Amino acid sequence: MTPLRRPTKTCPFCETRVRFIDYKDDRMLGRFITDHGKILPSRLSGVCARHQRQLSTAIKRARYLAIIPYIRGMQA
Amino acid sequence: MTRQYEAVYVFDSTLEDAAINDKLDRLHGLLGTPSDLAVNHWGRRQLAYPIGRRESGYYVVARFGAETGALPEYERAIKLDDGIVRHLITLFEHELGAPPMSEEELAIAARRREAEDDEDEE
Repeated sequence: MTPLRRPTKTCPFCETRVRFIDYKDDRMLGRFITDHGKILPSRLSGVCARHQRQLSTAIKRARYLAIIPYIRGMQA
Repeated sequence: MTRQYEAVYVFDSTLEDAAINDKLDRLHGLLGTPSDLAVNHWGRRQLAYPIGRRESGYYVVARFGAETGALPEYERAIKLDDGIVRHLITLFEHELGAPPMSEEELAIAARRREAEDDEDEE
């Protein structure tokens, strides 16, 4: 019987030893939002709980400063 | 008590560079012109969404150490300034963030993950 093995995901921030997630880095934050601009859940991105908390704060700060959009790909 | 802060200002992009520098000098003067002031001009940049009728803004990032008591007066001046579209003042104390994982911790985490996977297979 072939065992069901979930692919193991490791936190991309822990791997690169990021201590502090920068809200000004739009290219990095862009990887953790969906096409509509929502915050990507950690179960999809594999981010650990500690970094996910920092990431969500960083995304919300970046949105306020118009660095990344609140919504995207929707017709107003 | 002195703390490290980071402030991001988004100025109206129609302002002249000289006017922006004047405003910055005035604002930082309210903080007593900190000696460790580091100002980084990003320049004009497209906004991710329109704010009013503005499509672009002039971004400036400033990092400084300031007395906690000096901040309310400084922030009030920013709010009253019509040339500043958006601003954000945050604590710049990275020690408060997540401590880096040591080799040991990474190894433990990897082992635990493997152990969990093994349980799933049962």
